[in-house]
Amino acid sequence: MLTLAHFLSLGAILFCLGVAGIFLNRKNVIILLMCIELMLLAVNMNFVAFSRFLGNMDGQVFVFFILTVAASEAAIGLAILVVLFRNRRTINVAELDELKG
Amino acid sequence: MPITEIVFYVFSLVMVSAGVAVITVRNPVYSALFLVLAFFSSAAIWLLLEAEFLAIVLILVYVGAVMVLFLFVVMMLDINLTPLKEGFIRYLPVGIVVAVLMAAELLLVIWSKGSFDQGAFPIPPPNPVGFSNTKALGELLFTNYLLAFEAAGVILLVAIIAAIALTLRKRVGEKRQNPAMQVRVQRDERVRLVKMDPEPRQGN
Amino acid sequence: MSETLWDQLIYIVILLLKIVAVVVPLILTVAYYTYMERKVIGYMQLRRGPNRIGPAGLFQPFADVLKLLLKEIVLPANANKFLFVLAPVLSLAPAFAAWVVIPFNDWMVIADIDAGLLYLLAMSSIGVYGLIIAGWASNSKYAFLGSIRSCAQMVSYEIAMGFALVGVLILSGSLNLTEIVLAQQGGLLDWFWLPLLPLFVVYIISGLAETNRAPFDVAEGESEIVAGFHVEYAGAAFAVFFLAEYANMILISALTAILFAGGWLSPFEGLWLVGDTFLGQGSIFWFLLKTVFFMYLFLWWRATYPRYRYDQIMRLGWKVFVPITMGWVLVAAVFSVFGLVVRGS
Repeated sequence: MLTLAHFLSLGAILFCLGVAGIFLNRKNVIILLMCIELMLLAVNMNFVAFSRFLGNMDGQVFVFFILTVAASEAAIGLAILVVLFRNRRTINVAELDELKG
Repeated sequence: MPITEIVFYVFSLVMVSAGVAVITVRNPVYSALFLVLAFFSSAAIWLLLEAEFLAIVLILVYVGAVMVLFLFVVMMLDINLTPLKEGFIRYLPVGIVVAVLMAAELLLVIWSKGSFDQGAFPIPPPNPVGFSNTKALGELLFTNYLLAFEAAGVILLVAIIAAIALTLRKRVGEKRQNPAMQVRVQRDERVRLVKMDPEPRQGN
Repeated sequence: MSETLWDQLIYIVILLLKIVAVVVPLILTVAYYTYMERKVIGYMQLRRGPNRIGPAGLFQPFADVLKLLLKEIVLPANANKFLFVLAPVLSLAPAFAAWVVIPFNDWMVIADIDAGLLYLLAMSSIGVYGLIIAGWASNSKYAFLGSIRSCAQMVSYEIAMGFALVGVLILSGSLNLTEIVLAQQGGLLDWFWLPLLPLFVVYIISGLAETNRAPFDVAEGESEIVAGFHVEYAGAAFAVFFLAEYANMILISALTAILFAGGWLSPFEGLWLVGDTFLGQGSIFWFLLKTVFFMYLFLWWRATYPRYRYDQIMRLGWKVFVPITMGWVLVAAVFSVFGLVVRGS
């Protein structure tokens, strides 16, 4: 039988993969963005699962909003990335040390 | 084993392996493609959870738009990959330890007796025939969450403007055309009728 | 337990048979669509078109298929082999998968799902992957440029197309394709093409751009970048791309028929004299007739219009179509709220 715990476990494993990805690929901004998407997907999975098992649609509404915000975040993130690459010819996080203040 | 369980385990397996691949493969293009695979399998699992609208929207928005954007950027930028991968081995033990610890804690909580198992959350009956997930979601969205919905629209607008404003640049030597001017053009601006006398006959 | 499993097995077998019943005629239609294209454009240009193989050249498609299948598939050096082979499949799969929600008449549909229109949008949006992967995996500048061009074009026109569909779903009040058709009952003037005329025009032109057909075929402009994303493909792999493109065209034609031209409904419904005969009844015959008509339009336009320039295509999509559709969605909402268009009258 598929209980709530099954779906939550899947979400948990996915979230941890996202965290591990941020540790492993700390130089590459693109992969970092993808890891964030992975973590958001894990969160969405939990929302959908809870929404189903509580019989309450509000969880799905939240997923809808998360999708919206994540899409805008990805668009702006990638735009910043493109500008960054145009100016510095690199997307290596370690080399982005120009900011002073 | 009923078919839903087989479907769940197959797609979970695909999803977790795709997730592992996203964070470990060398080429970011492959990472993006594996992320697409992860989104696909998660859409399938959401279908099991009877969230049809969100499953299809996930494909439509993420796979159809966001990941295409990722792929465009990854493919177009001429990135030198070697310096980006350094530190991968160095941070591998830390990453694995943190991830495994986190996963262990989460799973312990999830599978502890009486918290999220069948006793605490009994398996809900399938939705009745004729129940429309899209309709239910829409009714909720346009009543209780109307303000949040409008705010989401504004966020998207801001994102559009920001993305365009960030990446727009004036280039030198660009050949622009103004279609309105082209359409509005009059005969007199392009054609000049010259009145001239016939040449006198040559020779003789 | 075993009995339910047995039932599920039978269910799956019946489902597979249904899929075969749709896909096999579809492939045959694609084959004869190429024949129709060559004949129609031939006569429009005062030529005869294919006329050697079989009576009036009728066996030409089979000869072409045989030729393509017997050719060698060339893998370019330094191409990414796995993705190179995967790309044609990725472009074909959504083109076929979309057909499961198409209602041929009031009961002939494989999956009568609730969110059919959304599903169709999702399927058409993942068709991009075949192109982008093909261009990238070929490891060739021409292929990559072509794929970037066609992908940008498809993604842009998807927005106008999506908005056109929003107009349809406002008037019909449903995402289910069968219900959308049933909302158009009442004869020629009750179909959605009339209240949604601007959206209808935008939809069909976007469909043209979406499938990268003339006059929007810069992506594979023969005279500019040879053949776009599939320059490096030959033989059967090329045939699969070809199949996908034509399947997509047929799909767009069928969708136009369903969304704007009343699907399987008869144009003479309720008319004096003919309304009571076979012609007045909705049937699969009408659906196929309408689909073929829209398929013919694709060919007609190809023979008529010169190719657009790429920046003009993008301008048309973003600055003309998107505002028009957004405006008309408002008009459609007004129609719907004030009951100016009655559902299923």
